[in-house]
Amino acid sequence: MDLNIRRKSTRAPVTGSLIETYPHDLQMYKIPPTENISLQEFETLALERLTLLRSLATATTLKGLRAYSDEWKEYVISDLRNQGLKYYSKLFEISRCGATEADLQARRKDHIAHFILRLAYCRNEELRRWFVARELELFKMRFINMSGDAVETFFKLNNLCYNNISEEEKTEIITFLRESTSHPNIENMKFYKVKFFEVLDLVKLRKVFLSGGYAYIPHKDFVSVLSAQFRTHLRQSLAVACHHLGEIEQDERLVCLLKGLHQSYTGNNYADTKAVVPIESLDSLSVKSFPLCMRQLHDQLRLAHHLKHGGRLQYGLFMKGIGVTLEDSLRFWREEFTKIMDLDKFEKQYAYNVRYNYGKEGSKKNYSPFSCLRIINETVGPGDCHGCPYRHCDVSNLKNKLQGYGLDPQAVNDIVDVTKKGHYQVACSKYFDAVHSIDLGLGINHPNQFFEESQKLIKGEIKVEIKKENKATVKKEALEEMDFDEISEWN
Amino acid sequence: MVGQYDENLLSDMLPIYYTKFFPQNVFCRWLSCGSSPQPLANRELSFTLADDVYLRYLSISNQKELQTLFQKKCPHKLDIGAVYNTKPSIARHDSVVLARELVFDIDLTDYDEVRTCCQEAKVCQKCWKFMVVACEILDKALKDDFGFQSILWVFSGRRGIHCWVSDYEARTLDSPGRGAVADYLCLIMGGENQSKKVHLGSDNLHTSIRRALNIIDKYFEEILQDQEFFATADGLKGLLKLIPDEALRTQVEKKLEKLPESSLERWKHFVNVYEGYCRENGFAMRKIKYLVEEIKIQYCYPRLDVNVTKGFNHLLKSPFSIHPKTGKVSIVFKPNNARRMKLDEVPTIHSLLDDSAADSAQHQNNMKTSVKNFQEVVFSLEKSEAMRRKTDANISIDF
Repeated sequence: MDLNIRRKSTRAPVTGSLIETYPHDLQMYKIPPTENISLQEFETLALERLTLLRSLATATTLKGLRAYSDEWKEYVISDLRNQGLKYYSKLFEISRCGATEADLQARRKDHIAHFILRLAYCRNEELRRWFVARELELFKMRFINMSGDAVETFFKLNNLCYNNISEEEKTEIITFLRESTSHPNIENMKFYKVKFFEVLDLVKLRKVFLSGGYAYIPHKDFVSVLSAQFRTHLRQSLAVACHHLGEIEQDERLVCLLKGLHQSYTGNNYADTKAVVPIESLDSLSVKSFPLCMRQLHDQLRLAHHLKHGGRLQYGLFMKGIGVTLEDSLRFWREEFTKIMDLDKFEKQYAYNVRYNYGKEGSKKNYSPFSCLRIINETVGPGDCHGCPYRHCDVSNLKNKLQGYGLDPQAVNDIVDVTKKGHYQVACSKYFDAVHSIDLGLGINHPNQFFEESQKLIKGEIKVEIKKENKATVKKEALEEMDFDEISEWN
Repeated sequence: MVGQYDENLLSDMLPIYYTKFFPQNVFCRWLSCGSSPQPLANRELSFTLADDVYLRYLSISNQKELQTLFQKKCPHKLDIGAVYNTKPSIARHDSVVLARELVFDIDLTDYDEVRTCCQEAKVCQKCWKFMVVACEILDKALKDDFGFQSILWVFSGRRGIHCWVSDYEARTLDSPGRGAVADYLCLIMGGENQSKKVHLGSDNLHTSIRRALNIIDKYFEEILQDQEFFATADGLKGLLKLIPDEALRTQVEKKLEKLPESSLERWKHFVNVYEGYCRENGFAMRKIKYLVEEIKIQYCYPRLDVNVTKGFNHLLKSPFSIHPKTGKVSIVFKPNNARRMKLDEVPTIHSLLDDSAADSAQHQNNMKTSVKNFQEVVFSLEKSEAMRRKTDANISIDF
């Protein structure tokens, strides 16, 4: 392969064809790029897009900014500028259909880089989810910030034709539209009729009027329709890409590059542990080394000798993660449950689930313990005790509980304050500090991480006397380890 | 006649029940229509045999096979699963779920924190009213909002109801779609550690919530008197916990403590105090704008088991299966008739098989009505399936 020839072809692109390929800033990425590019450009483009996506993740996860808000947008733009990615900051700021050479080049890079990252992020579900979430944020942001005429062109280019409903039809349902649509001044808006499953995000939040299977949306809500299409398309494409990974990986030069790209994001999933924890020590461990979500499940189990399905799953997998063996685990659940039921009933109805958690039944997958993200997003219904206590407890209940555990009143107030603001993981970190009488400020993103950090502390693997500088570095490291995921969903 | 029911006799009675009473023909038609365009054989059935032996990944290709399977295995309980890309017994864990009715499961145990007449597995005519409300609200939402038509309502045999939506769009709805529908319909959220489980915010109330409230209002006072939610000290405490505004809570507490125990009386006074408080403190309105509505919903709105709805391949008890613990048939009922349904008139396997039982005639009659209800839904489903196939064919010809 002659790399020189490749480089040549990229340096002198034919502008005429570029404007045909890239008429608009915003792309749906339906057709993959076909031109030849140099390895060097391949790498640069990939890294630059990764910077862009990371910047989005930082804005939502670490800075705690609300996605698509002005502050969020400003943060990303200034971050991109600082990193020298002017073309991305421009694309991010506003989408148009200009035709300057710079516009076209930016779109070309955007297009190619998107497809390179697909290859890097298709290999497992965790990566796919992260990638889809980021690309979706990017797409939505760019759609929202499209100039008026660009919107029209975009619809035309992508063959999206929707007809608005007649004035008579609108007058008929105007009261319902007013009740059920979350925009002011709907009188002056044109409304469109789409199937309800095209705007699931609006349906989920009850922010759209539904009738006879159709959703009535104003122009502004088209971002829902398109992002849903974008998401579905991207998910399918990633599955296809994953299928063809084998062919691509025959080229070793690409293998190293693609595999290296995402590595910083595959945190520990705690599915396999080497440690062994005897169940006799669970009571004492739960006091200091269990995060509150697991401590309350443990307490509840000891108290009621029963947990509902969600609780058994959350606590059972956590136990597996800290190193309770299958045999011990079975014994543990059996001892509790048989206080209120026959042994026979336990063996028939519950033992299966315990073995299932350890991958011994059903599809025999080795299930990973739940991360904070998963727990925070759990559905918690009547009678359930699982979920994240900072999210799924009344403030007064939480306060009583913490006071009951004998935590320092100041610490209790601190925890409750951040909980009220919706920073559940920060609350958990403060709880960690409070039970260990320390000031570490760890970034907690997994209950099993909480456990491991606590054990390290207790066994003296972390130096406890912390000077200011030390503290800062610990914090930074912890943040970098964080698993940036679809956190925007619970904002 | 519950006293006469004996679980140990099931194995003797079931073969007769399956041959003589189970509507095999309609059942197969319902399932194959709900599986199309895949063949009936791709649909998973699962059996629970005597002693809780559990058989998964069974399937049938016609009524004859169903009858044979019934006679051979004599299932104590029959569950229905999803439609796969192949016969479920072949690929098992590797097969792909292609379709599945959109299902809803409402269980009275989830009402334990509000109902006072029964707890856990017990049910009575009083708590059945919660199911009546749930059924009416859901049925209306599924029809009006989502445009679904083939909706089957089934009594679960003990303490709840199931709903099966067989429309093509519902059957093929993907997981995120099911999740969104479930979330749209689910207003009560939170577990043991949250007292206030309904938060309506301060914007306009969504059309579907207004409609649900209108339905609840038809029953609210009746249920309030049945259940006496606020008569006891605990019941009153439960109400007070739902009031987020401290000053209002104190006012209400002072007022209600002095009143006689009647919940209806207490409720009316609560609403009075609330309205007075809102007039005086306009600024506090945002937080408690819909407090009365929120409380009504918390006490009466359907409590869905959303995991059943969200899961694409969740198994659910089949209509006309016998509940092994009560012997009751999972009968199909019409939503507008739910109110008149009497739990002790639900046919049991015993009374169906024993002509000399006191309520045998009535039970046999109710069984017939139930099969007729089932037929009606299946006929209309077959009609709309035929229509759909015709339109699909036309569209492909146009191309």
